[in-house]
Amino acid sequence: MRRLLDRLLFATCGATALLVCALLIGVVFVIAQRGAPAMSWTFLTEQIRQVGAQGGIFFNLVGTVILITTALVVCTPVAIGLALLERVYVRSERWRRSLGVFLYTLNGLPSIVFGIFGFIVFVKWLGWGKSWLSGGILLGMMILPTVTVALIERMKALPSRYVQAAAALGLKQSQIIWSVILPQTRSGLLTGSLLGMARAAGETAPIMFTATIFAGATQPHGVKESPVLSLPYHIFILAQDSFDPAVGAKLWGAALVLLALVLLLSGIALPGRLKMHEEANV
Amino acid sequence: MTRFWSIAFSAFAVAFFALLLGIFVVQSIPAWQHSGMGYVTGSRWFFRTHQFGALPMIYGTIVVSGVALLLAAPVGLASAIFTAEYLPRKARLAVKVLIELLAGIPSVIYGLLGILLLRNWIYDLFARFDISSGDTLLTAAVLLAVMILPTVVTLSDDALRGVPGAQRHAARSLGLTRAETICTVSLRQSARGLVSALLLGLGRAIGETIAVFLVVGRQDNNLPERWLSLRPLLESGQTLTTKLGGAEANIAYGDPLHWAAMMGLGLLLLAIVIVTTIGGVWKKVGHDA
Repeated sequence: MRRLLDRLLFATCGATALLVCALLIGVVFVIAQRGAPAMSWTFLTEQIRQVGAQGGIFFNLVGTVILITTALVVCTPVAIGLALLERVYVRSERWRRSLGVFLYTLNGLPSIVFGIFGFIVFVKWLGWGKSWLSGGILLGMMILPTVTVALIERMKALPSRYVQAAAALGLKQSQIIWSVILPQTRSGLLTGSLLGMARAAGETAPIMFTATIFAGATQPHGVKESPVLSLPYHIFILAQDSFDPAVGAKLWGAALVLLALVLLLSGIALPGRLKMHEEANV
Repeated sequence: MTRFWSIAFSAFAVAFFALLLGIFVVQSIPAWQHSGMGYVTGSRWFFRTHQFGALPMIYGTIVVSGVALLLAAPVGLASAIFTAEYLPRKARLAVKVLIELLAGIPSVIYGLLGILLLRNWIYDLFARFDISSGDTLLTAAVLLAVMILPTVVTLSDDALRGVPGAQRHAARSLGLTRAETICTVSLRQSARGLVSALLLGLGRAIGETIAVFLVVGRQDNNLPERWLSLRPLLESGQTLTTKLGGAEANIAYGDPLHWAAMMGLGLLLLAIVIVTTIGGVWKKVGHDA
């Protein structure tokens, strides 16, 4: 009886784990299968025509790249500042813990809340209208926890003798940061940035009121009233009325491109991520 | 100088967050003044006649994310038990990384799958119950369950691995089978971490907008007639996030009271999510540090 229960638990858990993997891989497979027919060079290099039924997604791709690059530029200095604060400047355990809770809370905030917030501040108060910059800033703040936590984890794994050696050589704290801590943790920043960009690329809710429109934009000029097109918003709009089969094919194609972009970014981050798991040693 | 900039940028992040919270609190005040507690308990939302009752949206959010968690929890926990307790180290890392990679699939893609595939499946499956379309709360819940699975699996796995191996060895050497060791040692000792994993998954489900928006049907004022039945799951509805993400947010800005009511929904959403998330991480962060 005991043996039987033992086997039963093993079999159930194993089957469930397989199910989970199959489910998630199935999602990727379905997108790949349905999106493949739309794939061609012109799909990537032409602009959208006839409400998505013709043409390609060139400026959507450009817009998404602009948004995630801006997000990264906005996020990086803040993430470095927060990580240094957590690891170097804050001495009391209580404050360090509050900072940790702050990062987790920020990470859990619903994306639509960022969208509404951006709508009030950038679109209305600052009068930017829809602008790539507001989208970039909002996405940058959304991915802040991802980048910061990756950097903090890498800093935790930095052998303390590096810092001690530098201190023994008489370096000041700021010199230690610039010549030891930051160069040695570059890989953490890189991993975090890639994961953050992967997340930012797929977000729709923060940018739909603030930065992106469905058609009629190319590259932005200036800040005010200069929206961009983007892949997720394109999919979001087309998904709501995709009865035209021509649109349907293009829609799956756009989804495949977005998924490929996201998986590519997080795929490049894979070695760094494995290292994070090894170092965490759980 | 380095210290100054580090603190300045951190202060910027905190200020951003505080401003975000502050805006939702301040801008929703007129709605609370207008409706009082009726804002939360009222079941009618007609913005043209200035009736603002958020209960149907709160109900929608609770049902959709609650059912999602009910579906994801057993599956997620069982998978985590398998990866943490049975798989050898290398295989475990491989599965974990795969699952985390797939956790990054954008919500709009899940939404697309929901609207073009899952919706029809649900409709076919439950057609004999005479449902009007596949845009149901259940569709959204199933979709959300799949979306939060990676979070639940990977965090539960971390929690289970946090139980010292020596404890397991001790239990095994007392003659317990592997299953008994898992039930009496691993699960019990990691209970707190497992609850955190579920809470963080729940937090994600509550805040998810785009995927839910595409499949839930977005029908206003839809409270169930009979509470103790499964029927309401097969009807369309509205959640806090879908209301905020919908077209109404665009027209509301012109009318201060209407806008305040929308911001009130945002504040309720923030409150629920923040409480859930902090509940999930409070102990966890302390242990990691």
